[in-house]
Amino acid sequence: MSSLFEFLFKYRPVLFQEGDLSFLTPWPLTVVAVGALVLGVPAVLTYAMARGRSRRRDRWVLGSLRGALFGVLFLIVMQPALVLTSVVPQRNFLAVLVDDSRSMTIEDRDGTSRAAKAADLLDPEGDLVAALDEEFALRYFRFSSAAARVGGLDAFTFDGSRTRMGGALAHARDELQGVPLSGIVVVSDGGDNADEAIGEALLPLRAASVPVFTVGLGDAEMEADVQVSRVDVPETALTGTSMVVNVMVDARGYAGLTVPIVVEDMGRIVTTENVTLPRDGQPLVAPVAITLETPGARELTFRIAGRVNERVLENNELHTVVQVRDRTEKILYFEGEPRHEVAFMLRAVRADENLQVVLLQRTAENKFFRRNLDDPLELVEGFPTTREDLYRYRALVLGSIEASFFTHDQLDMIADFVSERGGTLLMLGGRRAFAEGGYKGTPLEDVLPVVLDEPTGATPTERLAFLKVEPTPAGANHPITRIDGTAEQSATRWDSLPAVSTTNIVTELKPGATALLQGTVVQRPGMPGTGGQLPGAQPDEQDTGAAPAGEDGGRVVMAFQRYGRGRSMVLAVQDTWLWQMDHTVALDDQSHENFWRQLLRWLVAETPDPVEAAPTTVSVETGEPVTLEANVLDAGFVEVNGAAVNAQVTLPTGEVRDLPMEWSVSDDGLYTASFTPQMDGLFEVSVDAGRDTVTFGTAATSVRVAPGTDEFRDPRQRRTLMERIADETGGRYYTAETAANLPEDLQFTGGGVTVTEERDLWDMPILFLLLAGLMGAEWGYRRKRGLA
Amino acid sequence: MVALPPCLLATVTLTGGHEPVQPPMHDGNTAGSPARPEAAALEPSTPPAGPTFLAGTPSSPYALPDDPFASPPHAPAAAQFPPPEWHEFYFTRAAYSSYSRGWGRRGNSWATDYPKSDRQFLTVLQRLTNLDAFSYENAVLLTDESIRRYPFLYALEVGYMSLSPAEIEGLRDYLMAGGFLVIDDFWGSQEWLQFEYQMSLVFPNRPIVDLDLEHPVFSTFYDIEEILQVPAYGRWGGRTSERDGYVPYVKGIHDDEGRLMVIVNWNTDLGDAWEWAEQPDYPLQYSTFAFQMGVNMIIYAMSH
Repeated sequence: MSSLFEFLFKYRPVLFQEGDLSFLTPWPLTVVAVGALVLGVPAVLTYAMARGRSRRRDRWVLGSLRGALFGVLFLIVMQPALVLTSVVPQRNFLAVLVDDSRSMTIEDRDGTSRAAKAADLLDPEGDLVAALDEEFALRYFRFSSAAARVGGLDAFTFDGSRTRMGGALAHARDELQGVPLSGIVVVSDGGDNADEAIGEALLPLRAASVPVFTVGLGDAEMEADVQVSRVDVPETALTGTSMVVNVMVDARGYAGLTVPIVVEDMGRIVTTENVTLPRDGQPLVAPVAITLETPGARELTFRIAGRVNERVLENNELHTVVQVRDRTEKILYFEGEPRHEVAFMLRAVRADENLQVVLLQRTAENKFFRRNLDDPLELVEGFPTTREDLYRYRALVLGSIEASFFTHDQLDMIADFVSERGGTLLMLGGRRAFAEGGYKGTPLEDVLPVVLDEPTGATPTERLAFLKVEPTPAGANHPITRIDGTAEQSATRWDSLPAVSTTNIVTELKPGATALLQGTVVQRPGMPGTGGQLPGAQPDEQDTGAAPAGEDGGRVVMAFQRYGRGRSMVLAVQDTWLWQMDHTVALDDQSHENFWRQLLRWLVAETPDPVEAAPTTVSVETGEPVTLEANVLDAGFVEVNGAAVNAQVTLPTGEVRDLPMEWSVSDDGLYTASFTPQMDGLFEVSVDAGRDTVTFGTAATSVRVAPGTDEFRDPRQRRTLMERIADETGGRYYTAETAANLPEDLQFTGGGVTVTEERDLWDMPILFLLLAGLMGAEWGYRRKRGLA
Repeated sequence: MVALPPCLLATVTLTGGHEPVQPPMHDGNTAGSPARPEAAALEPSTPPAGPTFLAGTPSSPYALPDDPFASPPHAPAAAQFPPPEWHEFYFTRAAYSSYSRGWGRRGNSWATDYPKSDRQFLTVLQRLTNLDAFSYENAVLLTDESIRRYPFLYALEVGYMSLSPAEIEGLRDYLMAGGFLVIDDFWGSQEWLQFEYQMSLVFPNRPIVDLDLEHPVFSTFYDIEEILQVPAYGRWGGRTSERDGYVPYVKGIHDDEGRLMVIVNWNTDLGDAWEWAEQPDYPLQYSTFAFQMGVNMIIYAMSH
């Protein structure tokens, strides 16, 4: 198509896009117009006025053809031309950026690697380089995680662990600042995997009118590939915590094939989960349950073995690091009255050495029972009245305790405990909880993930409803509600558990909240009360069987939402102990224990410490710099500047090095330090912060140093990105096959030192073809009509 | 709920006092308060004499469960699930099989002091704590599956206990599932042996150990500094003991993980103190101790 255009119009379309149309005739326009009229009008009139055998229609047709003929002639006489701005040969520079990352070693369907294609394109003896060299001073750059100027293709290793196109473009522009730069040519597969927005890197190029010409290499589609794309693993976990990790798998060409996902903890297989691969283009999210028992920094590997005909195997596995903490997490459980739920919950987790549930239980008016204390004076005055005292705990459980027990300051403090301290609040069902406990209109109403209705005034017995509980779709694989090995076993277990009761009417989630458990009201014969019917609803005449309540036919049993830095959760039933005690539950059934253990561990899983540390990139390669960041807060969770913060880096060899961290100045409480690992392995980092005699806390993190596989994630050519870079900077996108047009396009679209050039259009073949065509049409018409 | 023949529902005469009485009948399908036989239950009566025992057998201090003299417990009519009102706590009395204990009444030692003792204790319990407790008695057969809905269980006069295999299994499962049992009102070595034997049928290898005053059960609500011997009604003039039960003990049975499942009040009669506390001549020190101990045991059970 392009060739036909070029044949007819003499030049390639790009010249018409870039140039302006002009007429080079030396005669004034009026003279030309008068001349055209003098010659054209009589000619047309000759046809129009001729009579003979011709009809009116014949005269109009022939007159129009003759008029068009004269029009084309007039155009030719006007000497049309394209006015182009073209670069001055050998006065401009051209940056040629070549992707030097590992993804360039991928062999495409034709059996040739992208690196080989790049080498072929940029062969110094080849036509492309020769043509470019003729017009421009070429400057070569290689880029992967960083960009560097190179002399030629000899310097390329195609071993870069990361592709940062934005950084490479910025580097080339900076290096060639001050010289006339016609443009930048990028030869790549577009596999950018930097955590930076490419748009920000393009803005300076657009401002400087430096077009980027992209040459995309690689297949646009992979016909057979399995990829572990992502795993959602928390950064930290308590020892023994059962986690359900969502593993995202992308696959092409293997729809319906069942494959095992193997999970390794430091090389030891901890679990295997079979999944059935989806249709092409449909990502699969597979929940995989794992339990980490060994404390410390643990490297996890999620792997799917390579399949038949799969060309890229490097993306079949993914590595991540989890800090497994063997420490005791404190949870404050404040219960407003003696309840069996307390005893059974404490028993369920009593063997868990990583959980310390500090119980504060009101047993009479102004009388409290305390249990599991660190200090005899802990909570001696009842519920905490200062933030420092409350923020010592990582989660807060409120049982059947009315809102009016608390002062307004305490309610505000609890809300801040979630939003500012980042703790988790769990409200349990009970006759003094939720709306029935007077929480509507308090600061905690905003915190909770469910809507609190106006209290009905009904007695607990009237409000009583028995709920058959089942997981929601979100709860089917949630680490709290997956109470047995597999999702199927867990669902069976939930189905077997007896109904539990509630005296709270909770039916509506807040926007953004997630329900994990839902309940269907089950009427108990002989039980007084509404039987679970909402106020105003018609009672069940049968008095037996299921009696749904709520607009959607069910109750919210367990739900959570994020609130500020923390999370809030509700469990709106009051006797989960029946899952342990009821006669329908086998004595060796661990559902109740698993549920509470997993729930309490979840409560503290994401609660931040006063001192938190993390590298900006969790996985790097040898020689890549690592930046450590530490947030330092005091006991009231207020940022601390000017603290003494020190990181101890333990190398894979066991050697320990001190690394002082400096306050960033830009952010309160943020301290940074950098180091460059010189060997592969796991670098464990311990950060401690203090000031004078006060210790704010310690934090542990780690950095995995190993050859990365990011380059093989989605091994297809990212053509969309390559086209976007070209479009946004005024350049063009090419494939390896069309790259031969690059030199000419560059000549007229590039910046730098340019001259204005006029290119004649009067001799375009299309004009002469038009002339011949019009004359032939006139002659043919006359012949056909017998007017010749 | 276990259905029992009507003949077993009408075998006891309401006499009050220390005698076993027929529990009040509750209409399980009707809301509202249950029947209240206060007049009979609260009427003072003559303090009972000490119980007598049947002859024993070689394998048991007294008799085997299939002894022809043993009879099933009378139907605890209040034992229904769900109960007529919803509450967090039900003072649940274990209705178990026992031997005849004389005076023409057979197999109802579980119902001693029932229900006046239960009601008066509940009245005080509600006054002293903020526990949401059902105000009336709630007796349940050990073989009734609904017993697993009541994690707190009270049993007394266990010196006459003679459990059937089904009751043994029911009690074992109840305790292993998480239930908590309080034993009260049995005296002397002979009754101890019978109780110990019955417990050995429930838990063959689980020892009954002393609980000293450092145990949390003595400080959960009230700080109890001395284990008093609470005498039966009218025995406070001279010695407070019965038979050879001179020294009161509080003992316990634990599960494999150290959880206290059973509290055993031996050589003492807390239930009698609850029952007769309103009597002007009942010594305050005993009723006070009995109520404190009762409250502590319940709060302990609901927080440990």
